Amino acid sequence: MATTSNSPWRGWRDIIFIAGAFFFVAVFVVFVLLLIIADAFYIDKNAVLTVLNSNFIRHALWMSIWTSFATTFIALLFAVPIGYSLSRYRFPGRILVDTVVDLPIVFPPLVAGLTLLVFFAQTSLGRWIQDDLGLEFVFQRKGIILCQFLVSASFAIRSAKTAFDDVDRRFENVALTLGCTRWASFRRVSLPLALNGIIAGCILTWARAFGLFGPLLIFVGSFRGRTEVLSTTIFLEQSVGNIEVALAVAMLMILVAVIALTTIHLVGGKTQVHPSGW
Amino acid sequence: MIRVEQLSFSVGDFRLRNFSLEVARGRYFVMLGPPGSGKTLFLECLCGLRRAWAGRIFIDGRDVTTLEPRARGIGYVPQDYALFPHLSVKRNIGFALRSGRHSSEDISAKVATIAEMLGISHLLRRNVTGLSGGEKQRTALARALVMEPKVLLLDEPVCALDEETRQSVCALLHRVQRDLELTVIHVSHNLEEAFSVADSAAILNQGVLQQVGALDDLLRKPDNEFVAHFMRCENIFSSAAGLKLAGSHRGKIKMMIRPEDVVVLRAGEHDSKNENEFGVRLVRWRDYGGYVKVELSGRLNLVAHLTHAAFARLKAESGSELIAVLPPENIHAFGV
Repeated sequence: MATTSNSPWRGWRDIIFIAGAFFFVAVFVVFVLLLIIADAFYIDKNAVLTVLNSNFIRHALWMSIWTSFATTFIALLFAVPIGYSLSRYRFPGRILVDTVVDLPIVFPPLVAGLTLLVFFAQTSLGRWIQDDLGLEFVFQRKGIILCQFLVSASFAIRSAKTAFDDVDRRFENVALTLGCTRWASFRRVSLPLALNGIIAGCILTWARAFGLFGPLLIFVGSFRGRTEVLSTTIFLEQSVGNIEVALAVAMLMILVAVIALTTIHLVGGKTQVHPSGW
Repeated sequence: MIRVEQLSFSVGDFRLRNFSLEVARGRYFVMLGPPGSGKTLFLECLCGLRRAWAGRIFIDGRDVTTLEPRARGIGYVPQDYALFPHLSVKRNIGFALRSGRHSSEDISAKVATIAEMLGISHLLRRNVTGLSGGEKQRTALARALVMEPKVLLLDEPVCALDEETRQSVCALLHRVQRDLELTVIHVSHNLEEAFSVADSAAILNQGVLQQVGALDDLLRKPDNEFVAHFMRCENIFSSAAGLKLAGSHRGKIKMMIRPEDVVVLRAGEHDSKNENEFGVRLVRWRDYGGYVKVELSGRLNLVAHLTHAAFARLKAESGSELIAVLPPENIHAFGV
C-alpha cells in the first residue's frame, strides 16, 4: 500500500477506499503485462534471430525512431506558440482555430493519409509544392514525418494550451515589473511553469507518431529499405504469414517505447526548483 | 513623487474615472476602499500592467504613462505575493537582478543584504511553496526592493496574514519605508492596517476617488456619507434631526458624530442642561475588548463606544433610561 512518511492516520474505511482504487490500477497493469507476456511466449528463437539479422528491419527501426523524434520536435515548435496564443489571447475566430487544432485528433487515421494524398497529388498548390519547390512528400521519407505530424501534433498543442492555462497570468505580470520584457517573462516564468504539461504532450505526440500505421501505408507506402517503419513491418510480415516475426517486431517496438517513455519521464519529471546557486 | 492627472480606464463594465492624485516623495500613502472598488486596477495602471485611455502618470516628474512596466522604476508586491513556485527564495529575490547585467557575486551580495534587512536570511535555500504567510510576504517584499525602486506599490500586502503577523509585517513595512525613504502606495480595505502605517490616505468607491487627506480628517471630517460609513461612523443624521452645530452651514447637509464622541450619562446624574441632550433607552451593549459598544434609541438612534470604566459607571442594563449628549463641536456636517 502506498504511504508517505507524514501520512495521516488511516481507519479501515480509508484502507477500503485506497484498496478499491488500487484494485483498478492492478487490473489494468496486469492486463497489459499479460498481453505482452503472451506475445513473448509466442515468439520463437528463429523469429528473434530474423529480426536481429534483418537489414530491412534494422532500417525500419532506425526510421521509426528518428522520424518519431523529428516529428515530436517539430510538433513542439508549433505547440508552444500555438498553445500560448490560444491560452493568453482573445481574437476573432479563436473558437474556430481551437476546433481546427483538435480536428486531427478525431480524424480516422486512414482519412488523414487519404487527405494528404489528395492534397499533394490532386491540388495545384500541392503539386506546386512537390514539383516546383521540390519538396516531395508522397511515397518519400519526408512524407512519414509530415503524416506523423498531421496526426499527432494536436496532442502537443492541446497539452501546451492546458499547461499555459494553468500558469497564473499574475506570475507573468510580476515578471514584467521585475525588469523582464514580454519574451523574458515567457522564457523565465511561463515556460518553466508549463514545462511538465508540455512534456506530457510530447510523450503523447511521440507515442502516436511512433505507432502510426494506416495513414503511412496510404501516403508513403511501405517500401523496404526506404519508407518502411516498424509498424508497417509488422503489417508486411503478418500479411505473408510470418506471425512470429511480426510479434518479435512488436516486442521490439514495445521495448523501444518503454526505454523512450522511461527516459522522458525521468528527465521531464525532475524537480524544476533550484534550491541553491544561480 | 507620484502625480496622477485625470486618469481614466475601463475593464469590462468597470471604469476608473478622472482619477487625480498626488503623493509626496517619501510618504506612506494608503488607498482604502471596499472590495471591487478599483484599488488593484489603479495599482496595475500605475505600474504599467494596464494601459490608461486618458490621463497621465508622473513619477519624480518623469511622464511614465506610456512606458513599459520594467522602465518605470516601480517595485510591485501583488496580492497573494505571486512568488514564482519553480524558484527558490534566493532565486525569487534575485529574479530582477538576473534581468540586468549583474555578476553572480553581485547578485548574491545584494540578495544577502536585502534578506538580512528583512530577517529572511535563513530562508534563502528554501522552496517558496513551504513558506508561511509572513515569510512569503517578506520574500515578495525583498524581491520588489532588491531593484532599489523609488516607488513601492503594495496590493493588500497583509490581508492573508493572522493578526500577530499582520502587526509585525506592518511595523516592518513602516520601518523599511522610513529607512529606504520610499514613496509607498499601499492598498487595503482594512482601517487598522491603514492607521498602523499611513501618513495619508484616500478612499475609493466604484472607481471614483471619494476623499484624500490625513486619516484623522477622513475619520472626523468625511466629505460624504460613503466615507463616513467606510470609516465606521454609524451616527449619521439628516438636518431634520434638529442638532445644533458649532458653525453655520448652507444648503442641504447631513451630520455625523463618531461613536467615541457621544457622551452617555445616567438619568438625573447631572444638573445643568447641555446642548444636544436628550433621553435615550439602552437597547443592547457588547464588549469588544478595548471598548463597549452601546446601542441607544430615543429621539435619535445612536451608537456609542464607551470605555469599560465609563460603561461601569452607568450601571446600565438593556432597557435602562439614560441621557445622551452630542457636543456641537464634535458634530461634523457634509453636503448631500
